[in-house]
Amino acid sequence: MAQIFDRSSNALARMSLVLTGLIVIALGITLDEWQRSPWWTHQGQRADQPVPFSHKHHVQGLGLQCQYCHTSVENSSYAGIPPTKTCMNCHAQIWTNADLLVPVRQSWATGESIVWTKVHDLPDYVYFNHEIHVNKGFGCSTCHGRVDEMPIMYQQNTLQMEWCLNCHRNPAVNLRPESEIYNMAWTGPSELKPVWCAVKQQAQTGVPTGQDVTCTENDPSGGSGGGLASLQMPAGLHAQTTASDAGGAAAVPAVLNYQKFTSQEELGKFLIGQYRIRNPRELSSCEVCHR
Amino acid sequence: MRDKQHFSAIEDQRQGPQMSQNGKDKEGVVPVRKGLTLDEVRARLNGKTGKKYWRSLEELADTPEFHEMLRSEFPQQSSEWIDSVSRRGFLKMAGASLALAGLAGCTKQPDEPIYPYIKAPEDLVLGKPMYFATACPFASGAVPVLVKSDAFRPIKIDGNPEHPYIKGGSDPITQATLLDLYDPDRSQHVLYRGETSHWGAFQAAWRARLADKKASGGEGIYILSSTITSPTLAAQWKKAQVAFPNAKLVQYDPVNRDSAYAASRAAFGDYADAQYKLDAADVVLSLDADFLSSAIFPGFHKLARDYANKRRLDGTTEMNRLYVVESWTTTTGLKAEHRLALRASDVPAFAAALAGALGGGASADFNGTDDAKKFLAAVAKDLKANAGKCVVIPGEHQTPAVHLAAIAINQALGNVGKTVVYTEAVNPLPTIQTDDLKSLVADLNAGKVDWLVVLNANPVYTAPADLKFEEAMGKAGTIVHLDSHVNETAVLAHWHINSAHYLESWSDARAYDGTVSIVQPLIEPLYGGHTAHEIIQAMLDNPDLSAYDAVRENWRPALSGKGDFEFNWRKALHDGWIVGTAFQPKNAAGKAQIPASAQPSSDALEIVFRPDYHLYDGRYANVGWLQEIPRPVTNISWDNAAMMSYGTLGRLGLAEHDVVEISANGFKVKAPVFAVPGHPDNSITLTLGQGRSRAGRVGSGFGFNAYEVRTSAAPLYLTGAELRKTGDTYLFYVTKSHYTDHRAVFVGGDGSGTHSLEGNEAIDRAIVRYATLEEFRKNPNFAHEGEGREDPEPDESLFPAYRYDKNAWGMSIDMNACVGCNACVVSCYAENNNAVVGKHQVGVGRIMQWIRIDTYFEGDLAAPRAHFQPMLCQHCENAPCEQVCPVGATVHTPEGLNTMVYNRCVGTRYCSNNCPYKVRRFNFMLFSDYETESLKLMRNPNVTVRSRGVMEKCSYCLQRINAAKIQADKQNREIRDGEIVTACQQACPTEAIVFGNINDRNSKVRKLKEQLRTYGVLADNNTRPRTTYVAEVLNINPELADGLEA
Repeated sequence: MAQIFDRSSNALARMSLVLTGLIVIALGITLDEWQRSPWWTHQGQRADQPVPFSHKHHVQGLGLQCQYCHTSVENSSYAGIPPTKTCMNCHAQIWTNADLLVPVRQSWATGESIVWTKVHDLPDYVYFNHEIHVNKGFGCSTCHGRVDEMPIMYQQNTLQMEWCLNCHRNPAVNLRPESEIYNMAWTGPSELKPVWCAVKQQAQTGVPTGQDVTCTENDPSGGSGGGLASLQMPAGLHAQTTASDAGGAAAVPAVLNYQKFTSQEELGKFLIGQYRIRNPRELSSCEVCHR
Repeated sequence: MRDKQHFSAIEDQRQGPQMSQNGKDKEGVVPVRKGLTLDEVRARLNGKTGKKYWRSLEELADTPEFHEMLRSEFPQQSSEWIDSVSRRGFLKMAGASLALAGLAGCTKQPDEPIYPYIKAPEDLVLGKPMYFATACPFASGAVPVLVKSDAFRPIKIDGNPEHPYIKGGSDPITQATLLDLYDPDRSQHVLYRGETSHWGAFQAAWRARLADKKASGGEGIYILSSTITSPTLAAQWKKAQVAFPNAKLVQYDPVNRDSAYAASRAAFGDYADAQYKLDAADVVLSLDADFLSSAIFPGFHKLARDYANKRRLDGTTEMNRLYVVESWTTTTGLKAEHRLALRASDVPAFAAALAGALGGGASADFNGTDDAKKFLAAVAKDLKANAGKCVVIPGEHQTPAVHLAAIAINQALGNVGKTVVYTEAVNPLPTIQTDDLKSLVADLNAGKVDWLVVLNANPVYTAPADLKFEEAMGKAGTIVHLDSHVNETAVLAHWHINSAHYLESWSDARAYDGTVSIVQPLIEPLYGGHTAHEIIQAMLDNPDLSAYDAVRENWRPALSGKGDFEFNWRKALHDGWIVGTAFQPKNAAGKAQIPASAQPSSDALEIVFRPDYHLYDGRYANVGWLQEIPRPVTNISWDNAAMMSYGTLGRLGLAEHDVVEISANGFKVKAPVFAVPGHPDNSITLTLGQGRSRAGRVGSGFGFNAYEVRTSAAPLYLTGAELRKTGDTYLFYVTKSHYTDHRAVFVGGDGSGTHSLEGNEAIDRAIVRYATLEEFRKNPNFAHEGEGREDPEPDESLFPAYRYDKNAWGMSIDMNACVGCNACVVSCYAENNNAVVGKHQVGVGRIMQWIRIDTYFEGDLAAPRAHFQPMLCQHCENAPCEQVCPVGATVHTPEGLNTMVYNRCVGTRYCSNNCPYKVRRFNFMLFSDYETESLKLMRNPNVTVRSRGVMEKCSYCLQRINAAKIQADKQNREIRDGEIVTACQQACPTEAIVFGNINDRNSKVRKLKEQLRTYGVLADNNTRPRTTYVAEVLNINPELADGLEA
């Protein structure tokens, strides 16, 4: 009986085996890349909004404090989207005829909400809480990016679980002094730009809170230099920083024992202790975000 | 330790799951959809023009086919499952659903809109709940509550913890009034002759009529109201009575206090309420008083708390002893040290004889068994020995004679002023309601009634059958009906006004001790409802005065006494009560004359009428939680049944689920029978509130309507009923059979026909442990001695032990304090967005309750002892469920919680199989309602609404733990003891449940766990449960100890 398959079929068979394997692997890689792609995660995408609100203009240009609009960020899981009233505080007087602001004025006149599209939209089974992050030394820009440089709001990070866990497993990489929470330009200490921190007396509450750590970029021992980050920024945005610096430096300089930090790792470790950040095992436990 | 046979009632009911199977084959047992299909309903609807969809549907509901369709359609919601699906069909569906499930997981998250405020309310912090004090009005005294409000939506109702009388804790009905508020079937419009109308039209008609009637003083104007609980409404009525002296007010509730009031009038010459002070009573006798079951009993919350406080054995008080004489089986009776089951008609004679023996009246004979006589003698002796430290509580559903006997005994023993005080009646306009209703019906029949205004009552459904109320009502000129639902009365009324819920309106009410609470709205009326205040106010000079102004004006004098009215008003609203409004004890000097009571022959069949524990008189029939959650003692879900003893069941040759026709005085009703341990013989208990025809999509068509045989002459019980077997059977579901594993004799059954794993393990492995007070004193460590009671060493495990460095959450449940009232269960439903699955799904064991009350009966079927054990996730340190999950969806947290990650769960159900406590619940279908708009408002935003194919279980209220953790972490401190209160703990009226950090040496839960009485259920499995139980101790009277010391 003659052979049905030619000898070359062996090679074809082997090749198709290899090919199948490759296709499976390629498919896996494709799917993995696809679910990390901005199309899937919305990262970097600018949604159509009724008003092309520019954070850049309002934050960098005008120096509005984040909490002027996002009022409940320190007190609630939800940072808050400003009511139309907040817009109208100013826009009842300036740009009162701007075409761009028609939806705002319409909302004010009719009592209908301005319908924004959510930019940072976590799945419903994730219970993120702004309050605890902001009170434990996580700045806005850590997650939201340089909002002050975004003419149109977009999602800087993937907001995927992997990304959350990166920090929950090692919070030190992102911790910053409480005074720098709303500082968009904060980049952490370095050799060139060290940060000095000290622990204040726990006079008011009796229990230490994040507010009891005071930090400064100016050498508290009176040396020159430092303050580079704040120099880049308009003075208004740093009112809080300078005030607390002044308070820390002037009011009780003798008591405070400043420590110098030249790297984010060091500062992070120090702040983990001071803020009593839970350990990675606790922070990455499922029930922290899912219930 | 004890040779007594435990049995977990299921067994002896012989109809666990098998019965369901058999039942299905029988004709007319399972609501099979026959005749009218949904298409046909639609076709019929199309034929009707110009009517509202629901209105028309309800008209159709008159057909029995429609009832059946409703019954089978709604509870299963959108994803109905036909059980008789073929294997091929099943595979097709499974394949399709798998494909869909896969796809659903792959869809890109859609864009979500944000709707910000225009002007934000000043105090609102979105994401943080607010709490407001108000009160849940109830005919037996309002329940002052603290309502949790999320973005101004009430999402949880709990007892006001700071209230001087209630002190936190609640009950199933109060908890479930939340769902009542969001009930999608609530009446949403004013109706005139069935057509949508508006409030203005009604006002015009009502005022025009009143103007016409002004001259005649309101002749022909009749108001029929449910019991008026609001002092302001009473004041408004009194003013209206002056303006219209001939107008009449009739109050009628089918569950009323006629007996108590008749007795107090006979004894004291006036209406009076008895306030029992169980904190001062060492011996308590209940004469058919079910005071530990629910808010239906006046003063329940305080009674339950005081009762439990005397049983904590913490050395602060003497332990009390409870005797109960009762005519059916209640949780109160099962909690008693000594319980005597007597037919209701024998209780008055028992009471009279007891009064005679204690010098409270002429000596009287009591005809009873030797045991009953012995019980009587022992109780008399014990009461006498504790004169001044004891109390006798008469039942609300007993005759005035029993109340009078109780008054006489309490007086004779010098208890008045010590363990009982008499105060003015909690409701501002007390009357003998049945008499009033009778005279109203006479006036209706005489054609004297021009306008009949029915306020928050449903007399067509609830009125005694002999009054033929429906017929009589038809003779009224115009019928106005104010209520929350378009119910049986509404469809016969000319005007129907949709009422506002108490969470939507201004009013006031008194707690049972008299303390006034202002009822304040928590939410804008969802459907623009109106209240009785507005209708009565229309009779006065200033008819437009709002309820808010009326309430303020009514309390202005009381709140202006000390300081500024506005300040005091705001304080009263904030605190939830008005200081100094509690009643002062009355001078109860009258002498109670006990009328002679004849004992009918013990052969005559007797019917006892009782309110349903959850549905009350039927007004909560459309509240899914209350329908579904199994009733205490019987564990019947969604239905009611004619309850009788096993002896009577046998004597009448019946089997459970047989439908019988019960007839008395020419009235009859068909009901399925059910045997209850400890029920007196020759007596049938019928619970009211079921068999509604127009309750709504949830409550219509379940059970039978006991009002059909209830007459005005015998609203409490009647003797001389007849019973006829119809040959039909009706399937109702008893949930306690769901978590039972059957096993044969050879693997441990005791050979007596009891093959229940649970029943045997209750003995072998001591699921329930208890001792008498004497034994406990001799051996405080009784809970840990004996077979099956040893706790294995922690290292006896293949799995490495966890370390708990900081917090370790744990719970302690005091079985001595638990009265099995179900408040915790309803609270859990509300807190955790638990789904209602419907009768059919309950029948196949898919009820979604995270906490259930296991009732373990013990001893003789006719005179059992029982133990209530709330069973919820035990949060084992060595959890069997965690080890079998293939996807890590149930994991152990560093604080020892056994937590579910819903979005990981793929629904293998291995965890549930491996759970020894059977506390895991699986979403076999899409049980959560994602469609109904009004229910979305009710959900707790901090708990995931679970979808199909996901396992769920008790989380120890993880959302509350996390909220407390965040607050504590913000302040860099540890969580304080008592800062986290779980929903079940919060609702418990007896503080039986305590939650906290067991690593904290000073925490309350740690101290309870250190007690020797504390034990873990099935701890010999080395599951190391975090939930532990404090063993029961019974303060047995040695004279009645026979049978206990085996």
